[in-house]
Amino acid sequence: MRRFLARFASLFRGRRAEGEMAREIASHLALLQEDFERRGLSPQEAALAARRAYGGVELAKELHREARSFVWIEQLYKDVGYAWRNLLRNPGFTVLAAVALALGIGANATIFGIYNAVALKQLPVADTGRVVRVKRGTRYFSVNTFAYPEYEYLRDHNGVFAGVTASSTAIPVLASIAGRGAPEHVNGYAVSANYFADLGVPASLGRTFLPDEDLALGANTVAVLSYRFWLRRYDGDPNVVGQTIKLNGMAYTIVGVAPREFTGTAVFPVETSLWVPLSMIGQLNPAFGPGWRVEWRDSTNHGLGFELLARLKKGVSRTKAQAETDQLIRTFLAGHRETFSTIGVTLQRTSWSGEADNPWFQAFAAAVLTIVSLVLLVACANVANMLLARGVARHREIAIRLALGGSRARVIRQLLTESILLSLLGGAAGIVLSVWASRLVWTSLISIAQNFRSFQADLDLSPDAHILLYGLALSVLTGIVFGLAPALQSTRADLHTAIHQEGLPLGRRLGRSRLRGLLLGAQVAVSVLLLVVSGGLMSGLMVSFVKSSDLGFETRDTWRLNVYSPKGAMETLGRIRARLEARPELSRVAIGGAPLVEVLNIQMEAGKWEGQTPASFASDGYFEALDIRLLRGRGFTRQESDGGAPVAVVSQSTAGRVWPNEDPIGRHFTVPGAPLKVKDYEVVGVVTDTRFVAISQIDPLHVYLPNGALPRMLGGVVFRIRGDRGKALEAVESAVESVDPSLLPGMILFSFEAGPVAVQRGFFRVLAVFAGVLTLLSLTLAGVGIYGVMAFLVSQRTREIGIRMAMGATSGEVLRSVVIQGLRPVLVGTLVGLAMAIRVVTLARADGFAKALNLFSRASFDPALFGALSLMLAIAVLASAIPARRAASVDPVVALRHE
Amino acid sequence: MPSEGGERIAVLQGTLDLIVLRTLESMGPQHAYAIATRLQQVSEDLLHLNQGTLYPALVRLEQQSRIKGTWGKTESNREAKFYAITKTGVKALAEETVRWRRMSGLVEKLLSEGA
Repeated sequence: MRRFLARFASLFRGRRAEGEMAREIASHLALLQEDFERRGLSPQEAALAARRAYGGVELAKELHREARSFVWIEQLYKDVGYAWRNLLRNPGFTVLAAVALALGIGANATIFGIYNAVALKQLPVADTGRVVRVKRGTRYFSVNTFAYPEYEYLRDHNGVFAGVTASSTAIPVLASIAGRGAPEHVNGYAVSANYFADLGVPASLGRTFLPDEDLALGANTVAVLSYRFWLRRYDGDPNVVGQTIKLNGMAYTIVGVAPREFTGTAVFPVETSLWVPLSMIGQLNPAFGPGWRVEWRDSTNHGLGFELLARLKKGVSRTKAQAETDQLIRTFLAGHRETFSTIGVTLQRTSWSGEADNPWFQAFAAAVLTIVSLVLLVACANVANMLLARGVARHREIAIRLALGGSRARVIRQLLTESILLSLLGGAAGIVLSVWASRLVWTSLISIAQNFRSFQADLDLSPDAHILLYGLALSVLTGIVFGLAPALQSTRADLHTAIHQEGLPLGRRLGRSRLRGLLLGAQVAVSVLLLVVSGGLMSGLMVSFVKSSDLGFETRDTWRLNVYSPKGAMETLGRIRARLEARPELSRVAIGGAPLVEVLNIQMEAGKWEGQTPASFASDGYFEALDIRLLRGRGFTRQESDGGAPVAVVSQSTAGRVWPNEDPIGRHFTVPGAPLKVKDYEVVGVVTDTRFVAISQIDPLHVYLPNGALPRMLGGVVFRIRGDRGKALEAVESAVESVDPSLLPGMILFSFEAGPVAVQRGFFRVLAVFAGVLTLLSLTLAGVGIYGVMAFLVSQRTREIGIRMAMGATSGEVLRSVVIQGLRPVLVGTLVGLAMAIRVVTLARADGFAKALNLFSRASFDPALFGALSLMLAIAVLASAIPARRAASVDPVVALRHE
Repeated sequence: MPSEGGERIAVLQGTLDLIVLRTLESMGPQHAYAIATRLQQVSEDLLHLNQGTLYPALVRLEQQSRIKGTWGKTESNREAKFYAITKTGVKALAEETVRWRRMSGLVEKLLSEGA
């Protein structure tokens, strides 16, 4: 230990220790020499003999230093200084390499940043590692909602939790504040009184709920505001505590404001404006009705459950708590009949998204990360190539260092320090870039979702330790990946030849150029892969955009209204429809699903034909409201729609596919396995094709069934407005109010144009921009890489070119030979990359997501692909032609003298 | 490179410290050159070491406070650093000596049994 301290201290006394050492060695040598002189040697001979007897002075110094201190730290310090000077000496190379790495690392850090915020960051509660979400699994799906009696049972019978809290799902609330503008639709949550206390979330102003503040039903008229709502509506007024806010017409006293970072705990992270005690849920959401505290309700069936968060007791593991929770809930449910029986209850960590451990989500995240990792790989190959090239140029320097006694490991370590320093530079720039980029990506993603009024979500994207660690690890790894091969290559030197003559034997040069060609080829291959895939994606999206102007249904002035009424939805909607029909501002009122949103996928069988088809649900007048033309037969009658009669309308394409060359009217099909009341349907009409599933393509199949066929209503009232939009929408509100005022707060009204269509357009736009950025990145990186390597290769061949020109070669011939040499790996790389890309695109087309949305345009070899490839080749030719021209214009005499 | 004489013994790892301590204990304060010369004499040139390689051992021992170096003058009036064994050093030497005896005894035993 003492020695450790001494060594450590010696780090800071380096210079003095060096002086001392030199002095001691000098004295030692002097004594030796004296001795030799005494034995009768001449002073010169004695000096030489003394040196011989002493051994290598420098070696002794190194040994001395090593014993004295942590030599590696000193060496590292020196290496970093040396590397830094070296990087500064070649600013062009440094900037180019750092930019390439910053792009690569930045792209990765951006995606990781979003993943981190969505899946890794935990809720901002105290001791977050001990807080868990309770999740119910059924055979078909999993949900986070539980009935109140289940909550109560778990809370009172468990021995593993220090506290169990309950929160409703988001409730649409109409909030009005006297003297502060018009009433506003916001989201609120009703939470158990221990919610803030047990989660360890203190109020930033005022207080949170008291322990018994959720006991008296309908009597706890207090509210805690969210920080953002407080800032927005009260301008951060510190005197807000004690003021009154009206929620759905009822006055509540504001008791506190939540901390800024706490924005709610819901699995589906809808931004919240306020919290009220659980006892007020009946007032916020009339659908709960009386008896919600005592009656057990199947919480998977209605939107009337509660999400549970629990805090583990000290010393209790998640596994143990999970076993007990599972046991308790099953015991409770033993006497109840569930629609979908619970097969297990699990406890989960509290990430922003409750779906973070969903395998689909994980797979998606992995796929995106893989794509951006390819970009980084290209950047790595790029910089490795440039380093390799520079390694040859620095051959002499390295050889001299080796000759002076630097061990190979030591020199390699030094070169790696240089490359890691370089990648850290790039990494730092990349992280800065990513902070900005991930916010941009998130903003654009959320702007899509915001087209639905009720959806607002906030994500904490500020970089945390995870991001910095990721960036650091990625940078160091990158530095090693691109630095190792060049470092090994350039230290494998024949000292003699390296020092005495710059030109290397042909064979050796070949070996090195093969590695370089391989790297160049690999880099081009990955670039082409990225280029073709992202280019194909982009052109597919462009084509969709052009074609999607006609969706096959009317979007302008077509509106959709829905109300929150889980019980008797069909009947409520019918009553609203009757009121709307009477309004002169509106026309063509019908009930049905919104395109692009409320479409189900069902299994369909008709004779020999069977397959999956999207299905929508409609009432009479639905096709007229959306301007979908009837081609044959008829639409639904009101009676058929309400009663769920066994009749269906199919799209033109469906008729052509399922019953080719036959009259579809009167034909039957069945829907085995679909959750519908009736399984067998008769086709009564055929309508024109539409883009109901995705705006990017006409649905190859689509069937329309009567609303009543569903066990639960899906969709709402659709109608067209006439004349002034403001007046028409006012008319809608007053119509809803006249049916039932309690429906107003939960009312959702959107136009097709601004709602689902804009959402999909926005989604495609973001995807197209992403693809475009990828394309641009891979093109830039490929161009930089090819240019860097070619420029270097040519400079290495200057002497050879000089000889050839002196022998009579024309500059044209030289140019040609250089370009051809450069293009060989490029061509091979292009072919390999193309093969991989075609494989990827075929796979993506054949399956799943990309197929459903028609992401890649149909034509296998569309012009965009050729465009991208020829652009790539043009860049390659240009990148090798510029240095080649320079070489060809060299005066042979100068070239021959070139070292 | 100096010759790597076949019959000469390379210093066993860790034993150099012991030898240096012992030398200082028996001879009193010495400078590095004197230590090296003494080692060569005692070993009758069987033990070969580059005199420079003595330094790491000296630095190590000084950092462990087993010896202490002070600058002084030789008989020929040259300046040199004289190393003296400290109390800690004496104690360490005793312990190390016992350990070494045990170790060499064991090795000796094993070797003779094997024969």
